[in-house]
Amino acid sequence: MKNLLLLILLIPLFTNCQTEKAAVSKYPAHVGDIKFDEKLDDPDFKRCLGEKFTFQYYNDSKGFQYKGEKIEIEKKLKSLDLENDKNSNGYITIRFLVNCEGKTGMFRVQQMNEEYKEQAFEKSLSDQLLSFTKSLNGWVPKEYDGKKVDYYQYLTYKIENGKVSEILP
Amino acid sequence: MEKFQKYCLSLLLIVVYSNLQSQVNCNAMEDEDCKKACELYNYWGDYQGFSESQENLDKAIELCPNFSNAYMEKAVPYLKRGDFITWKILVDKAVALEPKKHLGYRGWCRYQFLRDYKGAIADIEALEKIYPTGYLGYSANGDYELHIAKALCYSALGQKEKAVSIIENQLADKAHNTGFYDYYQLGVTYFELGKYDKALENFEKQSKLNDFAENIYFKSKVAKIRNKDYLDLKKLALKSYDEGKTMKEGYTHYFNKVYRAQIDEL
Repeated sequence: MKNLLLLILLIPLFTNCQTEKAAVSKYPAHVGDIKFDEKLDDPDFKRCLGEKFTFQYYNDSKGFQYKGEKIEIEKKLKSLDLENDKNSNGYITIRFLVNCEGKTGMFRVQQMNEEYKEQAFEKSLSDQLLSFTKSLNGWVPKEYDGKKVDYYQYLTYKIENGKVSEILP
Repeated sequence: MEKFQKYCLSLLLIVVYSNLQSQVNCNAMEDEDCKKACELYNYWGDYQGFSESQENLDKAIELCPNFSNAYMEKAVPYLKRGDFITWKILVDKAVALEPKKHLGYRGWCRYQFLRDYKGAIADIEALEKIYPTGYLGYSANGDYELHIAKALCYSALGQKEKAVSIIENQLADKAHNTGFYDYYQLGVTYFELGKYDKALENFEKQSKLNDFAENIYFKSKVAKIRNKDYLDLKKLALKSYDEGKTMKEGYTHYFNKVYRAQIDEL
């Protein structure tokens, strides 16, 4: 009975753990999964547990974890004093992976306007924010069951009149 | 293998736990296809973000194209994982189908995840037009009644007096269940207006209900402004912070959250 219950509970996960599927889904195993791209990604950046066991930053009660908390990131960004086209408004979101050592990699960028429609900001702004995000080295590795795990994190920069007005989440 | 299974099971449970969604009574649905769609929603909503979940929510939409919950549920993992473009396309469909049910949720998420204050106000005010006399429901995390959430948006946009007026009206409503941070947010807004007596009055009310580091920090700030001894309160705020009695949320940061470094700098 116990084994049967275990089996039932594991079905959805194991179907994700399969390396080959009968039918190819139009969705990644988990929404937001990032695949290694040799054109974009550092080959030296490694996941510790493999793609199937990557957490989301919110999967534990601790949520966003950065040394010195989010205000530390805000202070660092302020010191850069980034400014762009004064008419630009919207959001730049950079999603990435934090591995079990707290190192980051596999950065992906999404840009949108205030109406949540895709829109490219001036390249200099998105490049600077990407470099800034890559430079952040205070991410705290998350632990689960005594084991350090990899997790997905993102930062969203809210842009108002060419300046970053808030960092989210 | 046993260890691997244990790990998989633990991982599944943690994923399921952090993604639990509200269930719908499918028996209330008359159309058979919609009933099937509803059952798919109820089952796969607990596996939020898995490819199988997304596929089955697609099936639910195919079976019952007007079943708004399926769009909403399909949207959620995109929101939580920072793909706001996809989230908005899907949640807009849910809102278009059943604005009564989803406007408040969309408005809250625009505020919580994107600090889209104007967008959140627009959604909540559209909901008020549907329910002009009262109850709008609560934020998705349960912390704020939506009138209060709207007030926070006005406050963020610099309309402090308006924010105060909305919160005071809401708190005066006998039907209102006071939220975890209502008095704190009102206190901070009064503080920003320079009305320190009113600010303190609300911080004290907050202390009685649910005290935490940020609330004590603001009491300390008022004391400092009034040239009174503030250091004991500052110490208490830091102690509370270190004990974890602070405004903390798994997905985002609270409006008017104060960080430890800010308390330390006081």
